[in-house]
Amino acid sequence: MQPKYYEFFCPVKILSGRKALANLSHELTQLGAKNPLIVTDKGVAGAKLLEKVEAALNEGDMPVGGVYDNVPPDSGNRVVNEVARFYQDNGCDSIIAVGGGSVIDTAKGVNVVISEGSDDLLKFQGVDRIKATMQPFVVIPTTAGTGSEATAAAVIANQEKGMKMALVSSRLYPHVALIDPVMMLTMPAKITAATGMDALTHACEAYTCLQKNPVSDAFAASAIRLIRDNLVEAVRNGENEDTRIAMADAALLAGIAFSNSMVGIVHAMAHACGGVAHVPHGVANSILLPFGMEYNLGKVPEFLAEIAEMLCPEVDPKLSVEQKAQKAADCVRALGAQLAELSGLPLTLSEAGVKEDQLEAIAKLAIDDGSLTYNPTEATFEEVLAVLKKAY
Amino acid sequence: MNLSPLAKQAKILTSQVSLLALGATFELTSRYVDEMKKEIADWEEGRRVAIGVLPNGPTITILKKGDRIECLGLGSKDPVLSILFKNLDSAVMIFTGQLGAPWAVAENRVIIQGDNAQAMQVTRAMSIVQTYLFPGLILDKTFKRPPKLTPMQLATKAKIMALLTPGLIGNAMK
Repeated sequence: MQPKYYEFFCPVKILSGRKALANLSHELTQLGAKNPLIVTDKGVAGAKLLEKVEAALNEGDMPVGGVYDNVPPDSGNRVVNEVARFYQDNGCDSIIAVGGGSVIDTAKGVNVVISEGSDDLLKFQGVDRIKATMQPFVVIPTTAGTGSEATAAAVIANQEKGMKMALVSSRLYPHVALIDPVMMLTMPAKITAATGMDALTHACEAYTCLQKNPVSDAFAASAIRLIRDNLVEAVRNGENEDTRIAMADAALLAGIAFSNSMVGIVHAMAHACGGVAHVPHGVANSILLPFGMEYNLGKVPEFLAEIAEMLCPEVDPKLSVEQKAQKAADCVRALGAQLAELSGLPLTLSEAGVKEDQLEAIAKLAIDDGSLTYNPTEATFEEVLAVLKKAY
Repeated sequence: MNLSPLAKQAKILTSQVSLLALGATFELTSRYVDEMKKEIADWEEGRRVAIGVLPNGPTITILKKGDRIECLGLGSKDPVLSILFKNLDSAVMIFTGQLGAPWAVAENRVIIQGDNAQAMQVTRAMSIVQTYLFPGLILDKTFKRPPKLTPMQLATKAKIMALLTPGLIGNAMK
């Protein structure tokens, strides 16, 4: 179905594959950077991945302006403001984010605060509020799921209000996404599974939500096929560089897709699960994706049927569109079960640590999440609560 | 080809009248529609929301006061949240029922300055306003799930329609 109108934008230079990291200094030089700040977390530093980045910079005669390695899993505006001060105190002129979604989104926030000459990220929440030209910004993902290395969004906790806030602007795109399998080889099986399902959720929601368009469809479809062929193997054998690259590319493609066509009810609920019960984003998406697909089944069966044809090993061509659409949700459920067996990935919200008395608070937060706007089917508080109860 | 000044003025006028009607319907639905009363119950006292058109098009500001919504008339008056159409054409498409609010957002025709959660609450309230402002034919075309009004709600809609013109004129005078 051809949309009546759409927009598409992705200005990120992508370097993906073996020894991509070796190009880091060159890319920074091309951007005019001379004194980069590395933003990362303790997990990355502990896994000795930071050393690889510093070695790459050293080989290219690029100094390290500073290292901030204290980004928490659910980073917030106060962390962003603190890192921005650290950037200024060290006279940095560019940012390298090394990590997963929380690190990358924090670095995006830091770039906003620095580039806008502000002292507070909260002034920029909303859509299209950022006007300044951004500082040189390179992202090196260490997980394959968030896709944040190629998106125009940052989800950061508003620590004053205790909820997640979204910043959306075409200025948030990094200049360079540098994807090297060596940065992902040590990722544990459970995180590989959760982040892979996160990427699948991005691709599936991008393929079914209101802003879908022929360009984003192409990216989402490629992502779905790569995930079908590589996710289970990446969880089974994390040291396989080929599957690591394939999953990293899948996450990137899904990121490009959803940054342009956005996401829907699954993400609205997953953000709320994170806000209320601290369920990791990929885990929440993994649990909720089949239920979200079923919720939209009556409205967009043809798109879900197409997903089934891409994702499921065998789909009987004689099935009706509605039957194929149901098959897509069944396949996601089966994939989740397989990953649960391999890695211990939770399959229900209760397994993920959500308490039953938290469901109403999650539903209340979910209906205020901007992602719900893009969902093809309207969803009220009562309807979201019913979906959450099914997933519980 | 430049747009004729007359055509531009027509779009500005359409947007201005539509915004004033929107403001008046916000006031009336907050007074007579239970669904709207429930929706705004959690809004903090004094929340000001501007709805308008970029770059310098018409704008109205609404205010949560007690258990009601009050329209402060034309102009952006110290809002905590602004919902702004990027251009006159996009605004006219929404105000004339050619495009639903979710599609306006999905097609990037709107920018939001402020808290996204508050923007979602205002969007839901705006849907209630549109339910009581637009004829069913338009609602069928622009809503993801077109509302089905009960006879009682239809009577309320008729009452709101009757009170709309004085409300609109009142807001224009503010």
